[in-house]
Amino acid sequence: MRNSWIIALREWSERIGSRTFILFSILGPITVLTVLYMLFAYGGKTATRWNVLITDPTNLMEGKIMAQKDSMIHYSFADDYIEVEEFANAKRYQNYDAMVEVNEKVLSNKTGFVFYRQLPSKVLEKKVQYQVERRLEEVLVKQFTSLSLLDFKKIKQPLNLSFRNVYDPHDESQDKRAWVGLFFGLVIFIFIALFAMSLLRSTSREKSNRIVEVLLGSVRPMQLMFGKILGIGMAALFQFSIWLVTITIGLLVMRTTLFPDYLQSNLNQSVQIDSQVRATNDIELAFTSFEYNEFVDLVFDRVQFTPMVLAFILCLIGGYLFYSSLFSAVGASVGSESDGQQFVIPLILLLCFGVYAGYFAMENPEAPLTTWLYYLPFTAPSVVMVKLSQGFLPGQAYSLILVGLILLISSLLMLWISGRIYKNGILKFGHRLKLGHFFKWTKNN
Amino acid sequence: MLEISNLTKSYGRHLALKDVSFHLEEGEIFGLLGPNGAGKSTLIRIVNQILDQNSGHIKFKGDLFRREHLKNIGYLPEERGLYREMTVENHGIFLGRLRGMNATESRKALDYWLERFDILSWKKKRIEELSKGMAQKIQFIFTVLHEPKLIILDEPFSGFDPLNVELIKAEIQSMKAQGRTIMLSTHNMYSVEEICDRALLLNQGTKILEGRVTELRDEHKTGQYTVRFEGNMIGFVNALWSGFEIMETREFGNNRFEADLAMRGDSSIDNLMSVLIGHVKVEAIFEKLPGMQEVFIQAIQAAQNAEVA
Repeated sequence: MRNSWIIALREWSERIGSRTFILFSILGPITVLTVLYMLFAYGGKTATRWNVLITDPTNLMEGKIMAQKDSMIHYSFADDYIEVEEFANAKRYQNYDAMVEVNEKVLSNKTGFVFYRQLPSKVLEKKVQYQVERRLEEVLVKQFTSLSLLDFKKIKQPLNLSFRNVYDPHDESQDKRAWVGLFFGLVIFIFIALFAMSLLRSTSREKSNRIVEVLLGSVRPMQLMFGKILGIGMAALFQFSIWLVTITIGLLVMRTTLFPDYLQSNLNQSVQIDSQVRATNDIELAFTSFEYNEFVDLVFDRVQFTPMVLAFILCLIGGYLFYSSLFSAVGASVGSESDGQQFVIPLILLLCFGVYAGYFAMENPEAPLTTWLYYLPFTAPSVVMVKLSQGFLPGQAYSLILVGLILLISSLLMLWISGRIYKNGILKFGHRLKLGHFFKWTKNN
Repeated sequence: MLEISNLTKSYGRHLALKDVSFHLEEGEIFGLLGPNGAGKSTLIRIVNQILDQNSGHIKFKGDLFRREHLKNIGYLPEERGLYREMTVENHGIFLGRLRGMNATESRKALDYWLERFDILSWKKKRIEELSKGMAQKIQFIFTVLHEPKLIILDEPFSGFDPLNVELIKAEIQSMKAQGRTIMLSTHNMYSVEEICDRALLLNQGTKILEGRVTELRDEHKTGQYTVRFEGNMIGFVNALWSGFEIMETREFGNNRFEADLAMRGDSSIDNLMSVLIGHVKVEAIFEKLPGMQEVFIQAIQAAQNAEVA
């Protein structure tokens, strides 16, 4: 073990000192944060600003709607009735994208109409509905109760009714969180691909420059292979930690500076509300932030990062051990550095299949194949992340332990098989690698 | 020191070593000779536990060889390899630690050897900055860094200029003087004659010769004598009677020559001296011993002939 550790430390220091590692550690999280920022800033918004005309002949809304201006919608008021045809064709209304009818019937029927020129996004639809509804609510509270608006806001508690398919009660197929799981799975496979490839190259380079013979004079082939896997794995984990810390700090900075409205909305309950205006503002902010951007909501609220990160680390370790021993065996078996390419392609395809399995699991959470892919060590890292992000029922937690055990046992088995191939192949030179070599070297002692 | 008994190793159907036995004595330089593919590298790898033998065993100082004994071995493989991106210092510490030293001991030993070879300035250089010869020298240092009792050198002189060959030879002899054992695998027969105490010749996995270098040369001598003289070559030829046969002559200029002679019948060195005196000025007469190169070729040819027969 001491020798494996010495080998691991050499691999670790070689990697963390390399320019590629440093660049990837800096540019990687910056790229992720940039993409997240773009999604947060623009992902849920329509590009154009909506110009809405509210026809309010009875002056119910008193020409007011929001305490704060909305960046996406501009409201104007008209104090007379406007026919739909007139709105549609008259030149003076052409600047308006939509017309909202507010009249005495709206209050009695609880039904209103919004006439649009182009179908708005769901976000805009909900915003208009919410903002008009809140204003009318204020009017009704004032008209029919003696409550202050602040007291009314305290009494009125929103109830979110989540609509679920009876055949999909956990809303797994539609859950956006699954995308986060898939993203985590993708990151695992990217890390595995990068570092396992690095392991393969390093092993075949050691073989071709013959340093391996010097090393084997002091360490067993298995110790050498394990040391290399350990060292490169430590470098991968270290890089992942840099990513994790940088992205976490980046998200916190975004949350507190670039997207403060969301933070405010989350703190609503603890904020001391000292004025009606303030209360109205906060509720509006809560609404606007809730609908502000689905990505903000997804990342900051709906994803359970602690179990996800823990599972991510376990899947990364398990998946890396499994795949790296395979890559290592190929690296040790090649006759020349270029010889390994033909066997790298199937391994890369296997990794791609692993990522695809995650996507398949997201789209078909209840399919029998998904269950197989969940337990299969080749695909488990991404499928586990997807399933975990979708959430488990209390009785299903055992499956997570089971898949962890399967991944661990198969990784150890793969290490053992690869160790044999490594031992028998590492000192063979000049041959053209064939599939038969792997079987032969697994059997030979 | 090292006892190898009935070692056999095969790769599939190919028999690389066939029942090979020999031993190494403490404080000797032992030459492991043989043509390409004779099984030398396989033998060395088995000793280093890189390969497992099919049968036979190895003893180190009377104990069955175990992995712990590897700390007592320094191994310089024929195909040199180092991590190109590492500095000489870090590389030395890394290999020293793998052989049981700690970082401080490794650094101290490295400093000693770098100073001894007058190359302390290379310490911080990366391996890729060194020339091939410089890297070879560094690799030799790494091999002996942990003061091994048995040093196995596979073609230690290849890639070195004559000056460095002499330097390495001197170091090998110095280590022998310290009581260490050196096993040398080489094709440079002149080096074997010069520094090896004993040698073993392998051919196609089989031991065909083993013994002291001087004895091996004696065993293969042909009875020829070399005469070095100053004078006239015609006079020299005329002086010889039918009891001698001139095999080869060499001219050095200024009427100085050397001739290899074979004795016929009962002719002796006294007869030779008496016929030459008065015809040429004899500078030296000595019995011609075959070089290890000739011993090597003769033994291999004999083995091949025996196989054909």
